[in-house]
Amino acid sequence: MTTRQLVLPARRPSRTPRGKRALRRNLIGWSFLAPAIALIGVFTITPFGQAILLSFQSWDGVSPDTPWVGFDNYAFVASDPIFWASMRNVVFFGVVGFIVGNGVALGMALAVNSVTRGKTFFRTVFYLPGVLSVVVVGLLFSFILAPGSGVLNRLLGLVGLDGQNWLGDPAVALPVVAAVFVWFHWGFGFLLFLAGLQDVPKELYEAAELDGANRWERFRYITWPQLAPVTSIVSLLTLLAALQIFGTVQVLTNGGPGNHTMVPTLAIYNEAFVNWRYGSAAAMSVIFGGALVLLSVLQLAITRRRSRV
Amino acid sequence: MSGKTSIHKLGLYGLLGVAALIALFPLLWMLSGSLQSLTELLANDSFLPADPQWHNYVTAWVQGDLGVYLRNSVLYTGSAVVGILLVSSLAGYALARLDFAGKGVFTFIILAVMIIPAPAMFLAQYKLLISLNLTNNPVGYVLILITSGIPMSTLIMRSFFVGQPAALEEAATLDGAGPLRVFWSVILPLARPGLAAVAVIQGLGAWNEYLMALVLFDDNSLMPVQRGLTAFSSAETPQQQILLAATTISIVPVVIFYLMAQRHIVKGIGAGAIK
Repeated sequence: MTTRQLVLPARRPSRTPRGKRALRRNLIGWSFLAPAIALIGVFTITPFGQAILLSFQSWDGVSPDTPWVGFDNYAFVASDPIFWASMRNVVFFGVVGFIVGNGVALGMALAVNSVTRGKTFFRTVFYLPGVLSVVVVGLLFSFILAPGSGVLNRLLGLVGLDGQNWLGDPAVALPVVAAVFVWFHWGFGFLLFLAGLQDVPKELYEAAELDGANRWERFRYITWPQLAPVTSIVSLLTLLAALQIFGTVQVLTNGGPGNHTMVPTLAIYNEAFVNWRYGSAAAMSVIFGGALVLLSVLQLAITRRRSRV
Repeated sequence: MSGKTSIHKLGLYGLLGVAALIALFPLLWMLSGSLQSLTELLANDSFLPADPQWHNYVTAWVQGDLGVYLRNSVLYTGSAVVGILLVSSLAGYALARLDFAGKGVFTFIILAVMIIPAPAMFLAQYKLLISLNLTNNPVGYVLILITSGIPMSTLIMRSFFVGQPAALEEAATLDGAGPLRVFWSVILPLARPGLAAVAVIQGLGAWNEYLMALVLFDDNSLMPVQRGLTAFSSAETPQQQILLAATTISIVPVVIFYLMAQRHIVKGIGAGAIK
């Protein structure tokens, strides 16, 4: 019988009689991991390092020469108003996605969970927008929100309200694009919340009802704490999806009017593939990607500490 | 008491009905608009097509080259899903059932890689694929799709393998089967629910991928459908109703797939995200 080994690889004695069996076991284990390691190594870790390297170089996207320019790209990005406008806008998307998106998702999950009929129907319908592609959503809403022939203005007209140039007016374009994001994405959080609600033990509610707890108290003291792990993972995933928004915006407004709906991923894309400045695009992606990584690590640390208490 | 409950219920169904309408209305309008004539659509005074223009779909299919794009998407998505299932079930099995040194290191790498967002990498991935001569090339695109699906899928598969009984594995080993044989003939068939969940989630993701497709393909005959749709809408400026017919055609496969496979979605994202 083999005993379970908890020794670190470096300290493992490799040539002892038992070492041979351990070596074989390690070889088998790592050969199962080999395809994953090869792909992640080549297509994720290498480009990740390359991105950082590229941010200190100048590259036109074609030539093999990438001269070293130090912090020039970062200085350029630091004074680029479009990039910083995009960062401000994406914080807005993040906040709206986080508060409105998660609020709608949780509210609808609670509602669907408490009805007896039509559960499957509502679950199917609410997640349906989420399977569409960013391109379809962008094209579809660019028609729906169009000032002249758009169906939204017509619907508003039917109830006696004035139409708007939803995507062309700098004052409303950003909230409107955020609303499209919420329409597209809240189904994901809804599904996870609903699954979480179905895992809450029924006995808890029965006991609380015997104790005379009202609807709000049952939510506050049973549902909410039981949903905590789902809430934190849904929050993180919604936030990351909102912050990385790209295709919807590119197709819907292409960042306009002006740069009022510009987002970082689109700014990076434009800097590289429209302005042909790959070096400063790489600097942008390092700054923005670094911020996202920090956010994820922070969120995971908070979640872990909370679940330990 | 019962009066109050039924009012509450009525309100609840009212709320759900409104939400369902908001979720469905844009799609229903897309369907309706795709069957109208341009004059009718621009006049914007009917919600239903007065005289359904079915030929809009033929025009969209032909003008938009949708046959080519859909075939490409099926091909790319299919290969990506098969690749992801193979690679991540191998890795997930090792993490769940095999005992070897350095397992923790790999788990850490997977978690770290999951945190790296696409905007931090897509430029450098593009540069890498240029140097490998893999732009405008299905192989490069599919490899990127597979790689980005591995971390989450590995964790999902791991959580399915952890719950499997060890008895069968031991019996097969005593019968003289090697580790790969045990994995392929004993473990994998039992993991079917996990494989289905991974296939559904990664299939939807690969089908709808856009950023890398945008960066990698400028040859129309190789584009997947999302990329093809933007090429169609921007380069040839088709009429609105034709574009609506094209978007409707493009979502048919994914909506049918979703309706058939939806129960696996909940299981999969639940297992991947929370456990």
